[in-house]
Amino acid sequence: MIRHLITLMWNRRRANGLLLAEIFLAFVVLFIVGSVGLYNYRNYRAPLGFGYENVWQINLDAGTQPRPEQYATLQTILRQLRATPGVVGVARTSSNTPFSFSTNNIYLETEQNGVKRTVEPVNIYYASPELSGVMGLELRAGRWFDRRDEAATRPSVVINEQLRDELFGPGGLAVGKRIGNKDREWQVVGVSGSYRAGGELSEPQPGMFVHVSSEDTSRAASRLLLAVKPGSGAELEKKLSADIRSAGPTWISNITTLPDQRQTQLKAGLVLPVLLGVVCLFLLINVGLGLFGVLWLNISRRRGEIGVRRAMGATAGGISGQVLGEILVITTFGLALGLLVAVQFPLLGVQNVRPDIYFTAMLLAAGTLYLLATVCALYPSRLAAGIQPAVALREE
Amino acid sequence: MTNLFASATDSPQPAAAPVAGPGRAVLQLTGIEKVYQTRTIETVALNHVNLTIHQGEFVSVMGPSGCGKSTLLSIMGLLDEPTSGTLELDGRPVQSYSDKELARLRNHKIGFVFQSYHLINDLSVLDNVELPLLYRAGVGGKERRQRAYAALEKVGLGARTGHFPSQLSGGQRQRVAIARALAGEPEIILADEPTGNLDSVMGEEIMDLLLTLNREQGTTIVMVTHDEQQALKTQRLIRFFDGSQVS
Repeated sequence: MIRHLITLMWNRRRANGLLLAEIFLAFVVLFIVGSVGLYNYRNYRAPLGFGYENVWQINLDAGTQPRPEQYATLQTILRQLRATPGVVGVARTSSNTPFSFSTNNIYLETEQNGVKRTVEPVNIYYASPELSGVMGLELRAGRWFDRRDEAATRPSVVINEQLRDELFGPGGLAVGKRIGNKDREWQVVGVSGSYRAGGELSEPQPGMFVHVSSEDTSRAASRLLLAVKPGSGAELEKKLSADIRSAGPTWISNITTLPDQRQTQLKAGLVLPVLLGVVCLFLLINVGLGLFGVLWLNISRRRGEIGVRRAMGATAGGISGQVLGEILVITTFGLALGLLVAVQFPLLGVQNVRPDIYFTAMLLAAGTLYLLATVCALYPSRLAAGIQPAVALREE
Repeated sequence: MTNLFASATDSPQPAAAPVAGPGRAVLQLTGIEKVYQTRTIETVALNHVNLTIHQGEFVSVMGPSGCGKSTLLSIMGLLDEPTSGTLELDGRPVQSYSDKELARLRNHKIGFVFQSYHLINDLSVLDNVELPLLYRAGVGGKERRQRAYAALEKVGLGARTGHFPSQLSGGQRQRVAIARALAGEPEIILADEPTGNLDSVMGEEIMDLLLTLNREQGTTIVMVTHDEQQALKTQRLIRFFDGSQVS
């Protein structure tokens, strides 16, 4: 029977051409939307690598204060903040804080088995020793920054596990090694877990924390990350702003919480997937209506054929199954064409997305279309099964 | 392989050879009534029909349009249910049979030939002829092909297996329809005006084919026709008028 249905549908390929094209296009769109959705969902489920619930961010701007005076003011501000009740820890960092829409990338060079290779992009985060405590970072190997790094001849870095895997192979020994490019060189003192400052929808990427010395005056006016006690609110915020203003009258501060920044970034990140999802939903409804309409019309046009099949020994259930089988065969033809397109994505490594995401999206798209075709064929197939053969044959 | 078509046209003897006495009753209709009811009107298509068709018989049914001939054929072919009365196939009443059992009986016992051929235009001649075997359990693809090909050989269309119905003449299409009926090797062939859409020459060819089939294979045939000359070639002629058998 399957061979018969395939023959029948193949012979009717011209009549079913539009339907076939519709299924093909629907599959491609579903596959792309599915890939985007799966990519984001998988990222969303992965750990961020840091805690953000009770972390605040302060953006500092020294205003008109002369640069030589800024460092001393910053030290005052830091001392005041650390002494403020409700503040658990204060870390200096660069502008690419978590959920900030800001990135800072470099490239690194490495040599494996005599072959030179460039690793990029590598996120670079400047961090004082307190950052680990403030953000709750996890160490996989080595240590976080401490006093030993103040006197180091080469700047110390803690690399994340993604960068370690890129540079030294999966789980490779990184602590004590030197990394760098033609301009700079760093000494690896530790390996951290993932650090996805890009937020929940971002993919874990290679990154490294560069030690910022307490004597470093080059980044006086910068970003601070504060760990605060749970439940801290507007009162603390007000006090912090006042303290900063009193320490440096020209200084401007802007305090935000990481949970708020996270929400903002998540909303922005979800715009594209949601938009694609809505478009996809309308497309599916369209395809469903198309399938339903064509099937319904087919049943009306093929009453004679249905009568003959009944006369030849087909049961009502058999006719119903045939209608369902035919649409599944057309769907399979459309999917086969769509798969030829979709399989190029993992083969060509489009967007560097993992192949398993593409393959899962193919399965999901195919499953959705098979389900849609089945649902759309249910009523027409029941109509077909209900056709009285004697009446249908007489009508012809 | 016997070519029924060739043997029929080449045969010097009269087409209707008498059979040696009636065989067992393959179809027995007792008090069959068929009433079509709408909200406003009640139409009696068949009125208390008693009829026995014996094995190996070639029976023709005649009557004016709307007298119930096709309805009778539909009921005999288990495509329609009578409003009252009993229909026995091979001595067994079929009223209580399920849709599945009726379908199985249609598939195994009955072959249909229609005035408008009812071939599936998107299937090749061979695929069309295979159709009854497709619904028969236990018949594999290879056997289906062989039997369909053999049936087409019998009607002289062995060379047209790959053609589509639209590429054939009316007479050829009807021969394909007869081959389709033959492929399942049924005991009974029910033919509803098989020559109705054909010119006289083509009509004669098809009639000869049916006569040969009846004579050589012993196939029971019930044929509805408007053609008196063709009806007279069969062994028994039944006349219908207003849903009742009049002779």
